[in-house]
Amino acid sequence: TAAGDVEEEMQPKSAEDRKAAAALSKLDARGDDESAAPAVDNQLVKNAMDALGGGGAAKAEVKKVKVDAADVNLLVDQLELSKPKATELLKAHDGSAVTAMRAWLQPTFA
Amino acid sequence: MDIRLMRPSDIPLVQHANLENLPENYQLKYYLYHALSWPQLSYVAVDVSRPKKTPYDQPKIVGYVLAKMEEEPTDGVPHGHITSLSVMRTHRRLGIAEKLMRQSQLAMVETFGAHYVSLHVRVSNKAAIHLYQNTLGFDREKTELKYYADGEDAYCMKLDLSSIREKLREELEEEKKEERKKKKA
Amino acid sequence: MPQVLSTREGNLFRTVIKHYEDKQYKRGLKAAEQILKKNPKHGDTMSMKALIMNAQGKTEEAFALAKEALTVDMKSHICWHVYGILYRTNKNYDEAIKAYKFALKLEPESLQIQRDLANLQVQVRDYDGYVQSRFVMLKARPQIRQNWTALAIAYHLEGNLEQAETTLTTYEKSITATPSKTDFENSEAILYKNSIIAERGDIERALEHLETAAKNSLDRLAVMELRATYLAQLGKNEEAVKAYRALLDRNPEHPDYYRGLLGALEIPKDDQTSLKAVYDEYAEQFPRCDAARRLPLDFLTGDAFRTAAKSYLSLMFDKGVPSTFANLKHLYSDLLKKDIMPVLAEEYLSERKSSAEVKDQSKADSSKGEGAALYFLAQHYNYHLSRDLTKAMDYVERALELDNSNVDFHMTKARIYKHQGDIRKASLAMDHARSLDTRDRYINSKAAKYQLRNDENEKALETMGLFTRADTVGGPFADLTDMQCIWFLTEDGEAWQRRGNPGLALKRYHTIFNIFDVWQEDQFDFHSFSLRKGQIRAYVDMIRWEDRVREHPFYFRAALNAVKLYLLMHDKPHASNGVNGADGQKGDAAEKKKAAKKAKKEAQKAEREAAEKASKQDPNKASSSKTKDNEDAKKKDDDPNGLKLAATSTPLEDAMKFLGPVLEFNPKNIDGQIVGFDVYIRRKKYLPALKCLKAALALDKDHSRVREQVQQFRSAIDPVLGSLPPQVQEIIKSEFTS
Repeated sequence: TAAGDVEEEMQPKSAEDRKAAAALSKLDARGDDESAAPAVDNQLVKNAMDALGGGGAAKAEVKKVKVDAADVNLLVDQLELSKPKATELLKAHDGSAVTAMRAWLQPTFA
Repeated sequence: MDIRLMRPSDIPLVQHANLENLPENYQLKYYLYHALSWPQLSYVAVDVSRPKKTPYDQPKIVGYVLAKMEEEPTDGVPHGHITSLSVMRTHRRLGIAEKLMRQSQLAMVETFGAHYVSLHVRVSNKAAIHLYQNTLGFDREKTELKYYADGEDAYCMKLDLSSIREKLREELEEEKKEERKKKKA
Repeated sequence: MPQVLSTREGNLFRTVIKHYEDKQYKRGLKAAEQILKKNPKHGDTMSMKALIMNAQGKTEEAFALAKEALTVDMKSHICWHVYGILYRTNKNYDEAIKAYKFALKLEPESLQIQRDLANLQVQVRDYDGYVQSRFVMLKARPQIRQNWTALAIAYHLEGNLEQAETTLTTYEKSITATPSKTDFENSEAILYKNSIIAERGDIERALEHLETAAKNSLDRLAVMELRATYLAQLGKNEEAVKAYRALLDRNPEHPDYYRGLLGALEIPKDDQTSLKAVYDEYAEQFPRCDAARRLPLDFLTGDAFRTAAKSYLSLMFDKGVPSTFANLKHLYSDLLKKDIMPVLAEEYLSERKSSAEVKDQSKADSSKGEGAALYFLAQHYNYHLSRDLTKAMDYVERALELDNSNVDFHMTKARIYKHQGDIRKASLAMDHARSLDTRDRYINSKAAKYQLRNDENEKALETMGLFTRADTVGGPFADLTDMQCIWFLTEDGEAWQRRGNPGLALKRYHTIFNIFDVWQEDQFDFHSFSLRKGQIRAYVDMIRWEDRVREHPFYFRAALNAVKLYLLMHDKPHASNGVNGADGQKGDAAEKKKAAKKAKKEAQKAEREAAEKASKQDPNKASSSKTKDNEDAKKKDDDPNGLKLAATSTPLEDAMKFLGPVLEFNPKNIDGQIVGFDVYIRRKKYLPALKCLKAALALDKDHSRVREQVQQFRSAIDPVLGSLPPQVQEIIKSEFTS
C-alpha cells in the first residue's frame, strides 16, 4: 500500500526537522541541466572547444625516473608509507632511497 | 569582537555554539548546505581577543546567524528566512544579535532581492520574542501549531525589508550618475 | 549469455529504476522480484535489487547479490555501475572508482556513469582524473555553462590557474546575449574568475577586471572587500582609504577594515594620537559600536591608555556587559595594562559610591554598575595571569550580596572553585547556577560539563537530557551523538578514562573519529550541487577546508586522548584494562583471546539488556514494524560499551588510526609529536620515531619530555643499529646527533 511506502523513510517529528531533511534529501537530485542553458552560439562554442585543446594532454612531460622495487619496499617498511606514496617520494629524489628518507625525516614546517 | 561573514571553516564551532545554546540542533551538513547555497547570508561574531595556545586554535564563535532564502516561497515573493540565531549568554548586551541580523538582511536584499525576512520562534521564548519584536522590528504573522519536536507552537514572524531596498536603489542610482559624470569627463 | 527481457518485463525494469530513484524501496523490490521470477539470472535486475537492499541498510546481502549479478553478466555496464555505487555508499572510494571505470569502458557514452566517476575523483582529490572526466563531460554538452565552470574548477584545484582562467574566458566569449543583471550564475562566475586572476598574483589586472566585468556583481560586499584589498596591495592609498571607509560605514565591527584604513592613511605605528583619532571618528558616528572604542586599547600606552581604558570600562559597567573581562583579557600580556585594570575597576566602584547618584538599590539592575564592576574584578583575580583566588571569591561574594539569583555570578563562583581544585564544589555551584535559569541551554551545558569534570557521567547525561529531544530513539545520548555534540563526547570519554573504564573512553573517541569521517563524507553531494547553485567561491573554500578538517582542535584533543590511552594499555595491560582483570601476569596471546571472547559475550549481554530497557521505555516498540527493523539494522552497534575496543591485543596498531592525522595536520603541536615518538619507539619504527623527535626539538629543544626522549632514542637505537638496513643506519648516524 501507499501508506506502507511512506513509512519506509522515518518521518522527522517537527516542522523544523522536516525542513532540514527535505533540503538535504534534495542535495543529490539531478538538476535539469538544460533549463539553465543561456543563449549560446553553437558555432562559437565549437570554436571555443577547439581553442581549449585536448584537456590534460597539454601538461608538461613528467620527468621519467627509474625506481627500484627494493627501494620502494624499503620505504614502505621503514617509513610506513603506502606503495604509491613511497614511489612518489623516490621519484621526487631521483630514485635515491637515502636522499628520499632523509628529506622525509625533516620537519614539515620551517 | 569581530562581526564577519561565516566561512566553511567556522562551521564546527558554529555548530558547537548552537549545541551549547539552543535546543534546535542540526548536523554539520545542514550548515554546509546554507554556506554553499547562500554564502552571503550567514554571519558570525568572533571573539578575536583570545590568545592562541597552538597555531591550530580556531577563533571562538560567540554568536551567529544562519540564514537562507526561502527556496519555494508560497507567496511567490522572494524572501529570506532565519534558520538559527544565537548569542552566548556571556556576550549579551553588546547588540551582537542585532548587528548580525543587519548584515544578513543587507545581503538578502543586495544579492537575492529579498522583500522581507521571516523566522520561527517558540511561543514560550519571551527573551527571543522581545529581541525580534522590540529590537529588530519583526511583526507576528501567525502561529504554527506544534512546529517544534516537543510539540510546542511557533510564532511565524516577519520583517519588511523595503527600507533597505529603497536605500539600495538610491545607492545604485548614485553610482550610475557618477559613471555618467566620469564618461563625460 | 545474459537473459533478454520481454517488452512487459522491460517496462517493469524501468519502473524498478524509477521506484529506486523515488526511494520507494518496497515497490521497487516487488517489481524486481516479479522480473526475477521469470528471469532468475537477469543480471541488471539482480543489480537493481542489490542497490535497493543496500539503500535499506542490508549491505552484506547487497554486495553478495551484486557480485552474483556480475558473474551472470560480466559485460553489463549496469552491473558494474551498481557495484561501484555499493562501494561508494560504503565509503570504499578506490574500489568504487575501479568499478565505475569498468562500467565506463562498456558504456563510454553514459554521462551518468561519467558524472558519478567525476564526483568520486574530486572526492578523493584525484585532480588529474577529474580534469579528464570534466573535459569529456564538457565535450558531450558544451552548451551548458556548468560544464565549463566545472572544468575551470578542476584546473584550479589541480593548481593550473592559467588553464582555469582560459576555460572561463573561452566560455564567456561564446555567449551571444548579455546575461541579465540578476543572472546569479553569471555574476558568481565572474567573481570566481576574478579570484583566480588575483590568485595568479596579477593584482593590477584583478583590479581592472573587478572594476569593469564584476562591477555589477550581485555580491556587493565581496566586490567592495576585494577592491579595497587590491587598492591597498597596489599602494593606491587615496582610493583605498575611500574603499575602507565605505566598508566601515557598512560594518564598523570588523577590525580588518580599521587595519586596512589605517594602513592606507599611512599613519606611523607610533603616532598614537592620530591612530586614536580615526577610531574616535567612528565611535562618534556609531554610538553603539564596540570595536571603535575597544580596539585602541591594544596600542595605546601610558596615560592615554589609562584614560581610554577607564572610559571604556565605565561604559561597559554602566551597560552591564557580561563579556567585558573576556573582551579585554588579551591585554594582560602587557604587564602594565594587567596591573592597571583592577585599579580602574576599583576607582569606578569608589566613584560610584561617593557620587550622589546612587539610586534605590532594590530597583536597580544588579548586573549593571556596581555588580558589573565586582563581577569584572572576580574574573580578573580568577584569570591565570592575575590569579588570587581568595580575592576572586571575595569579589564574587560581594556581587552575590547584591543579587543572589544572578546566573553569571554563580557561574564565576563555580569557576573559582574549579581553580581552587575543588571539582565537587565547582560542580555543585554550576548546577545551582543552572537551577536559577532552567530555560537556558548554555548554563545547562556548563552544569553538565562540570558534572563530567567531577566524573559524574550518569548525572551529566541526565542534565543534558533536560534539553535533548525527547523523541529520539535511544534517549539523550543517541540525540547528542546524532547531533555530533563533540564537546560532550570528549568530556564524557575523559571522565570514563579517569574512572578507569577504557572501553567507554575509547568508544567516545572512536565516535568522534567517525564524526570527522562523516564530515568529510558530507562534501560529496556538493560536488554536483554547487555547480547547479553556481556558488563557486564558497565551494572551493569548502574543498580547501575539508582538506584540513582534522586540523581542528576537536579532533586533536580526542585523538591525543585515544593515543595516550592506547599507550597506557600497551605499557600496563592489566592496570588500564578493566577487561583482563589485574592478576599481575603478562597476558599472553591465548589469554588475550580469552579476554576478547569474554568481552564479546559481555557486549552481547549489555546489548540484550539495553534492548530490553529500551523496549520498556518505548511503548510503541511492541508493534515493531519493518521500518524500525530497517532503522535498527542501519544503526546496530555490536559494541555499545567499547568492551571489544578495550580488549584489543594490538593497542599500538589501533593508536595509529588516531595518530596519523595528528602528525599530518598538527605537526606544530609538540604534544602530538611527543606521543608520536612514544608510539613509534615502542613499535620499533625508528625513522618515524626520529622524525617526531626532530620535529619536537625544532619546536622546543628545552622541553623536558623531549630531552628524555632523546636519551630514550639513544638507548633504544644503540643495541639494534647494526641490524638495521645500511641506508637506515647511514641516516640515523648523520641525523641523530646530540
